[in-house]
Amino acid sequence: MSMRIAIENLHFTYPSGVVALRNVTLAIEAGEQLAIIGQNGSGKTTLIKQLNGLLRPSQGTVRIGDWLTTEHSVAKMAARVGYVFQNPDDQLFKGTVRDEVRFGPGNLGFPAEKIELLVQQALTLLELTDKADVNPYDLTATWRKRVAMAAVLAMDTPIVIFDEPTTGQDYQSVQRLAQIFQTLHEQGKTVIAISHDIDFVAENFSRIVVMGQGQVLLDGPAQTVFAQAEVLNSTDVEPPQLTRLGQRLAIGPVVYTVENFLAALRKENDMQGER
Amino acid sequence: MPDNLSLYIERDSPLQRLNPLTKLAISFSLILIGFLGPGYWLATLLFICVLVPLSIWGKIGPEFLQRTVRLILPLALFLFVMQSLFYPGGRTVLWRFWIFSVKLEGVQFAYLTATRLMNMVGAFLLLLLSTHPSTLMTDLTRRGVSPSLTYILVSTLQIIPQMRNKANTIIDAQRSRGLETQGSVRARIGALLPLVGPLVFGSLVDVEERAIALEARAFKAKRVKTSLIHVPDSVRQRQVRIGLVVLTLVMIGIRLWPL
Repeated sequence: MSMRIAIENLHFTYPSGVVALRNVTLAIEAGEQLAIIGQNGSGKTTLIKQLNGLLRPSQGTVRIGDWLTTEHSVAKMAARVGYVFQNPDDQLFKGTVRDEVRFGPGNLGFPAEKIELLVQQALTLLELTDKADVNPYDLTATWRKRVAMAAVLAMDTPIVIFDEPTTGQDYQSVQRLAQIFQTLHEQGKTVIAISHDIDFVAENFSRIVVMGQGQVLLDGPAQTVFAQAEVLNSTDVEPPQLTRLGQRLAIGPVVYTVENFLAALRKENDMQGER
Repeated sequence: MPDNLSLYIERDSPLQRLNPLTKLAISFSLILIGFLGPGYWLATLLFICVLVPLSIWGKIGPEFLQRTVRLILPLALFLFVMQSLFYPGGRTVLWRFWIFSVKLEGVQFAYLTATRLMNMVGAFLLLLLSTHPSTLMTDLTRRGVSPSLTYILVSTLQIIPQMRNKANTIIDAQRSRGLETQGSVRARIGALLPLVGPLVFGSLVDVEERAIALEARAFKAKRVKTSLIHVPDSVRQRQVRIGLVVLTLVMIGIRLWPL
């Protein structure tokens, strides 16, 4: 069955009276790689917490495949939507990395062999195999974050959500993260990430949703989203450096990765050469 | 997301503007008088005739009542059930069923204890709801209380809302990993470790960061520090405070040497 995410006319107000989401309608097809950006307080976290039922709509509906989030407990939703929290210390409690990773798939009631296989795969993917018997709290914060990711990936959910996956990560880990997203993509999984790391978003996501004041301001591929400098500015997002450089150099199309920047630059040079 | 790190409610009222030490004195004298003062109805009277009017004066009446009741109700119920059934030396049986009998002395004792606790909880809440922790800390430090001591005091006041926030995030994170936190008693007990574990470990990790942050702000420096926040005080308030101390001592005296 297709794990399409369908959000319709979603409104959400916190009990304190803060209106966090206003009329959000969004469809995310299975296998999409989607990043959500926007200033703090724009409703990003509130929105992704709706996807696994941690928060429920004040109005409107959120559907994951054929399930309405209001009709299933968060623990049930966990079989469809994996959610990696920003701070790994909010979830680590087992004595070893392996046990920590085993906890999620164990909760989902998989057979023992399947659990072991998933744990092994997740540990390999995050390069944690040689750290499997270490206590997570003996690892650095960077590695604890990897453990938290492995713990969620081992649940083998068709949809995986990452809240600020690159914060506190070194260059190597960020590269690894890009590979992981690629692997998840090849497995046909939907990846949704909230991030302030605009370069990471530009390089790794085919679809970008820009939020501001509880609304979706922009939604589309990097090329069209980064062209809207004014809208981005209204929600405190600065386009990637390469995009800005490209615009200053007036090299035609909107660029956002090293590759398409260089390609555009060469094309520009060739055209000038011909003149 | 709206994060409320202390119980403090920002309102403009005379109670909020009172010097923190005055409010501290009010709270402690109310607690001491409530517990040690004479008379069966004293704690009840203090709560209804002093704490409630003060909270209304501070424009925090509804919040004050709601939080006090929410904190004290489970405890009071427990007290009434235990004391009315098992109070030693109770003779006046009100009614009985099966092997249990409810005794008047037990009910009276439970009421006395519950009202004293309510008075205590209320006095603390009044202070916490109307005083910003940093104002209290600044004022106490200015009066020569050791910064370490005021820090311990204030951080204790702040820790409950902080822990509650952290606990909520942890519950969310574990539910997202398929942990069933609702349902049968067994499921709830099983859910305890995954919730308490990160709370404790995380707090230990926090301690180190906190220590570094304090040190980076010259917490242990010996020189006299100036403060950005000016905490107003007045002669009237000082007189009130002295009055409260005397009143408390008198009340305790009456209790110790009844006329």
